Amino acid sequence: MSETTTGGHPEAGRYEIRLRGHLDARWAAWFDGMSLTNASNGTTVISGPVLDQAALYGLLQKVRDVGLPLVSVTQVDPGRPDVPTVAPR
Amino acid sequence: MASPLLETKLHIPGRRRGQVARPRLSERLSRGAESALTLVSAPAGFGKTTLLVEWLAAAPAEGRSAAWLSLDRRDNDPALFWTYLITALKTAAPGVGADALSLLQSSRSPIEAVLTTLLNDLHAMPDDVVLVLDDYHVLDARDVQDGMTFLLEYLPPRIHLVISGRADPALPLARLRGRGELVEIRAADLRFTPEEAAAYLNGVMGLVLTARDVAALEGRTEGWIAALQLAALSMRGRDDITAFIAGFAGDDRYIVDYLAEEVLRRLPEPVRHFLLQTSILDRLCGPLCEAVTGQDGGTVKLAGLERGNLFLIPLDDRRRWYRYHQLFADVLQAHLRQERPGDVSGLHRRASAWYEQNGEPSEAIRHALAAEDFERAADLVERVIPAMRMSRQEAAARGWLTMLPDALVRVRPVLSVGYAGVLLACGEFEGVEGRLRDAERWLDATTGIGKGSPAPSAEMVVGDEEFRRLPGMIELYRAAQALSRGDVLDTVGHARRALDLSPEEDHLCRAAAAGLLGLASWTSGDLKAGHSAYAECVAGLRRAGYVADTFGCAIALADIRIAQGRLGEAMRTYEQALRLAPEQGGSVLRGTADMHVGMSELHRERDDLRAATWHLLRSQELGEHIGLPQNRYRWRVAMARVREAEGDLDGALDLLNEAERRYVSDLFPNVRPVPALRARVRVARGEVGEALGWARERGLSVEDDLSYLREFEHITFVRVLLAQHTAERAERSIHDATRLLERLLRAAEAGERTGSVIEILVLQALAHQRRGDIPAALASLRCALTLSEPEGYVRIFADEGPPMASLLRAVAKQGIAPSHVRRLRAVLDKTEDGTPVKQGLIEPLSERELDVLRLLVTDLNGPGIARELMVSLNTVRTHTKNIYAKLGVNNRRAAVRRAVELDLTARTRDR
Repeated sequence: MSETTTGGHPEAGRYEIRLRGHLDARWAAWFDGMSLTNASNGTTVISGPVLDQAALYGLLQKVRDVGLPLVSVTQVDPGRPDVPTVAPR
Repeated sequence: MASPLLETKLHIPGRRRGQVARPRLSERLSRGAESALTLVSAPAGFGKTTLLVEWLAAAPAEGRSAAWLSLDRRDNDPALFWTYLITALKTAAPGVGADALSLLQSSRSPIEAVLTTLLNDLHAMPDDVVLVLDDYHVLDARDVQDGMTFLLEYLPPRIHLVISGRADPALPLARLRGRGELVEIRAADLRFTPEEAAAYLNGVMGLVLTARDVAALEGRTEGWIAALQLAALSMRGRDDITAFIAGFAGDDRYIVDYLAEEVLRRLPEPVRHFLLQTSILDRLCGPLCEAVTGQDGGTVKLAGLERGNLFLIPLDDRRRWYRYHQLFADVLQAHLRQERPGDVSGLHRRASAWYEQNGEPSEAIRHALAAEDFERAADLVERVIPAMRMSRQEAAARGWLTMLPDALVRVRPVLSVGYAGVLLACGEFEGVEGRLRDAERWLDATTGIGKGSPAPSAEMVVGDEEFRRLPGMIELYRAAQALSRGDVLDTVGHARRALDLSPEEDHLCRAAAAGLLGLASWTSGDLKAGHSAYAECVAGLRRAGYVADTFGCAIALADIRIAQGRLGEAMRTYEQALRLAPEQGGSVLRGTADMHVGMSELHRERDDLRAATWHLLRSQELGEHIGLPQNRYRWRVAMARVREAEGDLDGALDLLNEAERRYVSDLFPNVRPVPALRARVRVARGEVGEALGWARERGLSVEDDLSYLREFEHITFVRVLLAQHTAERAERSIHDATRLLERLLRAAEAGERTGSVIEILVLQALAHQRRGDIPAALASLRCALTLSEPEGYVRIFADEGPPMASLLRAVAKQGIAPSHVRRLRAVLDKTEDGTPVKQGLIEPLSERELDVLRLLVTDLNGPGIARELMVSLNTVRTHTKNIYAKLGVNNRRAAVRRAVELDLTARTRDR
């Protein structure tokens, strides 16, 4: 069951939240400094580190409150460091 | 209350000009008003509030009155939420909820008690009432949701709840759906149909759009009303409408953002600037906007925005308070943060200052926290903490304290102690001591005890008065913690220090410390100290105006008096407490029911069973919510004892079983445990095996160290031993009982527990009697009679039946306490005459039958009895049949009960 994480809260990690519609970059500050990427299929991906479940729900609540249709929420490999490691093969 | 109640929250929002009539939805809402709950659940900007406002405008015509509550995040504090909800109901149903509000404010009542009181009022309502809770999605506190579930469960049919929000509430919706008690209006229902969109754009907004344009708009917005409104606004005065529509219809952008930007771009710069700056406000009024923007003419500007349809919603009839439509406010804030990120905290700071000056500390705190001006927030929180404690809004206070940087809280002693208090109030003991130590570092410095640590600077301590209270409060909190650990000695130590340290005028702190001291002394068997501490606590509570809280003390005071054998004073304690109750504005205070239960027990002891029953019925009439948590079990114990006195042992046993399930200590020492009471009934029923089982389970032995806390169990154990002797003729049991009684007597006398002394003497008399030592029996009985006469004890003697009757006969001849003895004998005779067995026992049992009967009382089966008596099983059966006939029973258990009642099983009988 338990996946080993590299530290911090076991539930902390990067999340990607996909919404329908394109969001202007100015909303990045609104979504607590997460980064926004507009995809070609008319969706926006909000991504960035999320401290814990409470922070995630806070984020989702903001999405709800601006009335943006939610497409998906994905946790992105919590164990993976932000910078790819270069390991000799 | 840290902030006054905001009337605007209870106000049905003003109707806005030019709404599209939506009869299909209004009809559904009217239908909904026949069921318990209507749910309007959809994202922001779907016209939920507008729909409800329009529908309610027609409500009086349909014979309903309506109450409204606009919720916000702060309502996650249960005390605040229920205050608002009940106040809202009062606006629609005058006279409802007064008791519930006073319960909420005057004592630490569980929410269920408050709600039960409210529900009683609502049940009496003659007319239909609709209560709308708008923006329900902001509520996420578990205890608030639990309370709502409870309310909904018992909602009278005339009361209808409408919950409107952006997310489905955490209520048992599936169950309500199943029962047909739920009407739902969801996003799909709320979207504008093409016809509604056309009616809005071309009718209300006065645009001239082709059917094709309308269809394109409707398709792009998917009937999302907020988007259609923004679209209409940005199309006003344009010539190229069709091109404009085509322009964004093919665009993927977030439509509200796109359209709001269009609207903003076309506004004059000063107006746009004003919108951005004021977007940080939850509520707007002219003077507040002036303070935040630093420019005059706030009221005029707001009126202009409302006229321009710029998503400004009036919150009252006087056009004083407004709020932005939340979607629009979010877009504005996103622009503000992008364009002027450096301004945001200054704006919040100015809002905080304005709210502080205008007497709304909680809003001032919210904005100070948003400005990340933590010093200022800490100052404000510090000042408001006593008021929050008084109004029991610990949840809200806790929210603020957790948002402040911990390093800041730790160097502010008032905040640290406040934090400890909040944690204790939430039942969290971990972390309390750390907070108290943090505070103490500064206190030591001021009293000169600490070495070298700097004194708190002026910024760390806002109020001198609150600071002076800290040493006492720290000790008080430590005492509370010690008590929760069960550490009596520590509790007493800290409570005493709290009394020494707290200022004379701090009535509440002193009363609380005295109460803890009383509880600890009582628990450790120091009845005198316990009584005087509780008396001091009551006096302090009265001075501080907490009359309802004195009922809990009255129970303790009376219990102590009863242990001391002072029934008269116990009765006076209850009577006095009741006399004080009506002074509280006519409503029945919680704890009143408990006084009746206490009085019932005293009447029962004095053999006034009628009065005892009356008080229990009175307590029941008042209702469970008028009783303290303990009352549920205490009532059943008192009723069980009445039943026992009436001879209904089965009924008594059922009630005791129920009492055990409902037992709560409420921190009181358990000086009369229910299982011990049940063991006594078992003894009375002749079920010696069960009673012995209880004694084994409790690990009772004659060698035990004696303490006040186990005294009732030990006396009960003596009763079991005596019954065992009767049943088994075991010499050891009577020997053990006698020895234990001697030790118990010495302990009770040393502790000045006359109530216990009387019972022990009665049992001693019976034990001597069984051993055939009548002179010793009479000597013990004489002492018991002398001690008990002034207080009017009856049942403690009368419950012992024929053996006691014969002892009293002997004592009467000696002329001891003649009137007391006469009364006791009269009660005993009455009991005897009332027993049908006595009348039926025309033919006495033979010696052999008596032998069989004594064995029937034991656990031996038929063959076992036959072996014991060295006769055949058939002979035993014949004897048994005869015994049953003579006793007028038809089974073994009943035979045993009768035999015990008539004392037929005792070996030595001096009748």
